[in-house]
Amino acid sequence: MNSISLYINKGSWLNRLHPYTKLLYILTAILVPLIGGKLWLFPVMITASLCILASGRILGKAMPLVLFSFTLILVIFLIQGLFNHDNRTVMFSIGVITFYREGVLFAVRIGCNILNMLLSFGIFVLTTSPQELVDELEKSGFSPRFGYIINSVFQILPQMLAARDVIADAQRSRGMETEGNMLVRIKAFLPLISPVVMSSLINTRERAIALEVRGFGRKQKKTWLYDRTKCKWDPVVRGILVFLLVLVIVWRIW
Amino acid sequence: MGKIFKTKFTTATIVLIPACIGINYLGKLFASLLKLPLWLDCIGTCIGACLGGPVIGAVCGAANNLIYGLTTGDNITLVYAFTSLCIGLAVGILARMGFMSTFPKSFVCALGGGLAAVLVSTPLNIIFWGGTTGNVWGDAVFAATQAGGMSVGIGSLLDEIVVDVPDKIITIIIVYFILRGLPRKLTALYDVNAKTERLD
Amino acid sequence: MPMINIENLKYKYPDTDRLALDGISLSVAPGEFIGIVGPNGAGKSTLCQAMVGLVPQFYHGAYGGTVRVADCLADQVPVQNLCEKVGLIFQNPFNQLSGARDTVYGEVAYGLQNLGIEREEMKTRIEKVLRQLDIWQYRDRNPFDLSGGQMQRVAIASILVMEPEVVILDEPTSQLDPEGTEEVFKVVDDLARTGRTIIMVEQKLEKMAKYCDKLVLMQKGKVVAFDIPEKIFAREDLEEIGMEPPVFVKICKMCGLTNPDGTYPVTLEATVRLFEQQERQMKPDISFKGNRNPHISAEKSGKVFQMREVSFAYGKKVPVFENLNLLLDHRTTAIIGQNGAGKTTLVRLLKGLLKPISGSIYFREEDISQKTVAMLAGKVGYVFQNPDDQIFKYNVLDEVMFGPLNIGMNPETAKEKALKALELMGLSGKEKENPYDLDLHERKMVAIASVLAMDTEVIILDEPTIAQDDTGKKRIASMIKQLSDRGKLVIAILHDMDFVAENFERVIVMAHGTVLADGVPEEIFAQDEVLKKARLQKPSMTQLLERLGME
Repeated sequence: MNSISLYINKGSWLNRLHPYTKLLYILTAILVPLIGGKLWLFPVMITASLCILASGRILGKAMPLVLFSFTLILVIFLIQGLFNHDNRTVMFSIGVITFYREGVLFAVRIGCNILNMLLSFGIFVLTTSPQELVDELEKSGFSPRFGYIINSVFQILPQMLAARDVIADAQRSRGMETEGNMLVRIKAFLPLISPVVMSSLINTRERAIALEVRGFGRKQKKTWLYDRTKCKWDPVVRGILVFLLVLVIVWRIW
Repeated sequence: MGKIFKTKFTTATIVLIPACIGINYLGKLFASLLKLPLWLDCIGTCIGACLGGPVIGAVCGAANNLIYGLTTGDNITLVYAFTSLCIGLAVGILARMGFMSTFPKSFVCALGGGLAAVLVSTPLNIIFWGGTTGNVWGDAVFAATQAGGMSVGIGSLLDEIVVDVPDKIITIIIVYFILRGLPRKLTALYDVNAKTERLD
Repeated sequence: MPMINIENLKYKYPDTDRLALDGISLSVAPGEFIGIVGPNGAGKSTLCQAMVGLVPQFYHGAYGGTVRVADCLADQVPVQNLCEKVGLIFQNPFNQLSGARDTVYGEVAYGLQNLGIEREEMKTRIEKVLRQLDIWQYRDRNPFDLSGGQMQRVAIASILVMEPEVVILDEPTSQLDPEGTEEVFKVVDDLARTGRTIIMVEQKLEKMAKYCDKLVLMQKGKVVAFDIPEKIFAREDLEEIGMEPPVFVKICKMCGLTNPDGTYPVTLEATVRLFEQQERQMKPDISFKGNRNPHISAEKSGKVFQMREVSFAYGKKVPVFENLNLLLDHRTTAIIGQNGAGKTTLVRLLKGLLKPISGSIYFREEDISQKTVAMLAGKVGYVFQNPDDQIFKYNVLDEVMFGPLNIGMNPETAKEKALKALELMGLSGKEKENPYDLDLHERKMVAIASVLAMDTEVIILDEPTIAQDDTGKKRIASMIKQLSDRGKLVIAILHDMDFVAENFERVIVMAHGTVLADGVPEEIFAQDEVLKKARLQKPSMTQLLERLGME
């Protein structure tokens, strides 16, 4: 079954790290350059993220995430480089189009921020199984009802996606066109999405029953099948991250 | 006011939320498959808001972006978690006030949802991407306003309006038709005032 | 002290006028196996849900009377707590998975986690129940990837692991294929021997007769009778209620054989015993000729479809068909075989939804292997197995008119055809209803009508009889006959062998992408080797006749 989660288990130290530690890394990676306020902090954090990804042998898997953001970064460069209100200093010109230093600099800052966010999230996303995240959240007192919501999305969505092709076939069998001009395609939207939306909503009734008869929502302490194996790196990494955060704050205030 | 926000966290409403999040994903997928120039990525959030009320709508919206952001790596989505939350909240409030009861009235609901999206997204766009949205049409408008010397705020606002308002109108129309088709046997489960009568 | 005691139970769903349960009183002793039978809409499922407290706690509505299960008042004790005493298993295996766990093991553990069972105890219980239901080998698989029968066993395991005193099975096999049905009944067999109190709803009356100590016969929310199976099935008013007695009862009735107390035997064994006791050498004139025309008329032999050397594969996988040759004429044709035999692939090729890799398919004289689905829509109709894959309109009439309008009929003709199709499927008077307000068996009829209304020359039906009661099956049988009489070709994929034997002129047996046998039902069901190879069961009638030595 294909999952929408990007999680890959490579058995690396990143997989063994506690999800919270990885969340703390995201926080640190994003906050350090923002609090520090210096542009060079971005490349430092980006390089750190790249090294961590490489150590978990998932650098290749992270690349599609980055490519995905390139159009956005490109548009920002164009608009800011050309039209930023602070634009004064000409950087270079291509025909009648002139790029300005201030705008480009602004775009670099934003672009770096996006890359930094994407990569630090990438570490979390690629190495943490949703199930593990939910279990840990629930063990820390997070409501099992919300835990259920997260788990269930991953189980239900592939089923809904699988229904998609069958529905398209069923409607085409009744003579409906799905290709052609815009009007034809707009008209096809409702017959295609309606059956799957309706049946998934209607199925919620039976699923709710299935949960109720299995004690869902009981006011009682839950038990777990497994304890996660403690990772010796967790305290070390957390310590370093907290130290970095404190350091950058102190540095900024002084 | 208290009535508008009345929420029941029953099993039925909890199970509704993942279904709605799945529907969001499918709407987005079908829109791109049929090459429609719309996002249609909050159909489920709006359904959740109309059936379960503003709180459930807000949970659907926020959970949607958090879950996809934290697992599919699309963390641009994550930035807009608060937008989705507000769309769910706004649509939920308007639906409870009766603005989903007829087809003409549903446009008020659509505008409310669109407005919430615009008001919350604009500052986020400015903070994170200097005012662009990543949507071709919207960004063309933004580029034009910037070239014309308008302020970043106004430009970004126009950018969002061009993108979000038509999208929310179409979304709410679809939601309206879907809700009309749902059997009473199902919608009765979400009735916050439901009580069991005694027959003896 | 009864395990279940129901007194004057009345229940009405919210926003409805009719009482779904109307004055039910019932008492079940510990260890009894009780069956509930009755036509669709009799209130069987509602009664089951009342015993686990879902009615009224989950649905609300209006409620009266008392339901006491294992000393708990079902409308007072929260469902989440009551589930320790009474477990419910229902029709759709897919919807019974919690959707929160990605392994079978985790899925079965889910309920125990909610109950707060200690880890070691949890592990012991899970292993025991997984082995008992023969799904231990699937423990690490994703439950959603399993077959229907396996999924249903996971659902049963998830309930049994909680060790309830009462187990309620609400048509656990109605949405499964024969293999899955057998798997589940094997489990029920085991359960029956453990001495647990069991309540089961089931349309397959032969099975009910075999397991149940007593049967509850329900109609329109009321208990008509509560008695031993022999007495229930001997009632003269069964057909009036909308039910057909088990085939063994029918045969004995025809032969004029009765038990000493005037009832009829309800199981194969009892019937055989009765026949032997009586030592009657009479050979009753029983055969398969139900609704079928006795002879194939000349106009039925013209070819409709011809497949020549057709090969097909999904993507780069192992081919489903290699050089398949098949000719389809006007005879009503049933395609039978286990899941994965290639039945659905075959009809999808005929419909043009799939294209052969090589070879050609002719419809009449035209090669259709290169035509689009839309071009064929007006000629070949195809009813999908799950009606919910197609329904999207807000009233039944619009839904049924969608196809006809798409293929270019004018609105008047489309409406006329739609009304006719609805009448044929027994849905007259429901034109304005919301399809989703109807029950699954009615939605299936809507889906069939929506294809019939397109008035195509060929109609393909995928599992039309699933979820239908006897009345529904009769209606589908008469529809098939009518269409065939009008010169249309009806092709159906079926798992219900009794239905095939009674209603089709030709049977094609498939296994692993090949045609194992092809002929009239009498011939096919006499070939033990073929049936064994295709893993199919004989129709009950054939089984009985063979046991009695009446070939």
